[in-house]
Amino acid sequence: MLEVVEPGVLLTIQDAGRPGLGHLGVPPSGACDPWGRATACLLAEAPPGGAALEVTIGGTVLQALESCAVALAGADLGAELDDGRPLRPEVVHLVPAGSRIRFGGGRGPAATPGGLGLPAAPGAPMIRGARAYLALAGGIAGEQTLGSRSSYRRGGLGPWGGRPLAAGDRIAPVRRGDLGGIGLAWPVDLAPHPATSGGPLGIVPGPDEGSLPPGTLAAIAGESWRVDVASDRMGIRLAGTPLAGGAEIVSHPLLPGAVQVPPDGRPIVLLADGPTVGGYPVIGVVPRADLPRLGQLSPGDEVAFVAISADDARARWRDQQERLVSAAAALGADALWHRLADHAGG
Amino acid sequence: VPSGRRSPPPVSTSAALMADPRPPARVRVERFGDAALLVVLGERVDAELNARVHRLAAAVRERGDAMPGLGAPVPGYASLLVTFDPLVLAESAARAVIAEMLAAPAGPAVADADPPVTIRVRYGGADGPDLAAVAQWTGLSQGDVIDLHAGTEYTVFVVGFVPGFPYLGVLPAELALPRRATPRLRVPRGSVAIAGRQTGIYPVETPGGWHVLGRTDAAMWDPRRPSPALLGPGCRVRFVPA
Repeated sequence: MLEVVEPGVLLTIQDAGRPGLGHLGVPPSGACDPWGRATACLLAEAPPGGAALEVTIGGTVLQALESCAVALAGADLGAELDDGRPLRPEVVHLVPAGSRIRFGGGRGPAATPGGLGLPAAPGAPMIRGARAYLALAGGIAGEQTLGSRSSYRRGGLGPWGGRPLAAGDRIAPVRRGDLGGIGLAWPVDLAPHPATSGGPLGIVPGPDEGSLPPGTLAAIAGESWRVDVASDRMGIRLAGTPLAGGAEIVSHPLLPGAVQVPPDGRPIVLLADGPTVGGYPVIGVVPRADLPRLGQLSPGDEVAFVAISADDARARWRDQQERLVSAAAALGADALWHRLADHAGG
Repeated sequence: VPSGRRSPPPVSTSAALMADPRPPARVRVERFGDAALLVVLGERVDAELNARVHRLAAAVRERGDAMPGLGAPVPGYASLLVTFDPLVLAESAARAVIAEMLAAPAGPAVADADPPVTIRVRYGGADGPDLAAVAQWTGLSQGDVIDLHAGTEYTVFVVGFVPGFPYLGVLPAELALPRRATPRLRVPRGSVAIAGRQTGIYPVETPGGWHVLGRTDAAMWDPRRPSPALLGPGCRVRFVPA
């Protein structure tokens, strides 16, 4: 059992989300970095759709009310115990009763010059990013709303009426008292976090290319963009040389990954809590294999895009899911994880 | 996105709802990323076009129940988003389903079989703080505004903005107004409001820029219900003064 001492910038519970309710105005929600969530859940022996804490940027402090096994994954947000011991990502840690976990914020040479620069595992590249995932033994207990434990504030869905977690909130493992798995580490060589490799994010062209000036996609791909501070779980605003904006179109449905071009020419890339319908032309969509990297972008980050075919995007998605299955096998995970499926959903 | 929609988005202009002499647009099936297709039936907000969207949605949904990998379709005004799991279903197979459904003879409108849902509204006063202003801007009496609003049968074109918010059309032209210049920071749940050629009902308290004519006690949105939204896409709706 963990109690929130300080929620930090934003602390929510996220699982694989509630896809399939877009017709009712409900976004899929779920983890912004689905790979990070899946990693934490696999290490914690949670089921494929299990819930984890999504820690954003940092400032979060959690207290263990009883000793528990804690699986960390996603970005390295500088987690450490109050005795100063670092809690590396992609490892299961013992957090003794009474001690606190503090997420000080991203560390590493690139993020904080002169920072600790701790590798996740010997030789493993640093996972830089905005979001860390914390799972407890068997997952995080709690009731589902509309088939999911994910917090979605605008719709009042998820635990605590959908609001972000606040001081005093308590999170219990599904298997209380289970301290198994301490020291278990993610097979980094089999399945490195997508954010450990660089390169531009893919964009699958469409569906509104025809409603935008010719060359818009090339203009997006030819620019370097900066993630604006006005970004959240709904979407990422990109700052840079504005594109020639398009006229508004008749609103159509939307999905996470959609790259909208508003009339002001400053693109918005939708994330897990993004709107389900909208009237800005969508120049293209970041494919599912790149959502983990998209979800790890932090304000101030530079980001570039490259057009990718749907077939290439799907090949990357399949490769990514196959790596998750390999990791599950290496960890001896529940058979549910061994099936090639959308495990990184949400 | 913190610009965060402070009010239901501008989904259409009133011009888009005027009688449109153009011939129906050719249907386009566009890629929406690597795991969805957008079926675009037209480029305007139009009750007949929207009814086709809901028929297509019902057909795809029915087929999806028996076809692994085909996801729940999401209707727009003049388009339908069809998701699929590319690990299970090839894009070509999803396209084949869509082509088959488009070629099938048009069935009855989705909601025609059901009687319209009746929403009781307390118009004016504290429940409808914009009724007087709407009457003034339109040059109508408050009674005329209520009669026009309640005298029309609407269809849920799309649901969005917040969970369970129904965009209903078509509002009589006499009541068409642009959205408020300054959105309200809080519109109470159950508020019945108008903007452009549409009307809507706020299912939860939220910021909003539409003109509030009244309020209903109907539970528009309850995630604990099997059908959390009282009004789903394609539903027919009538307002009745309480």
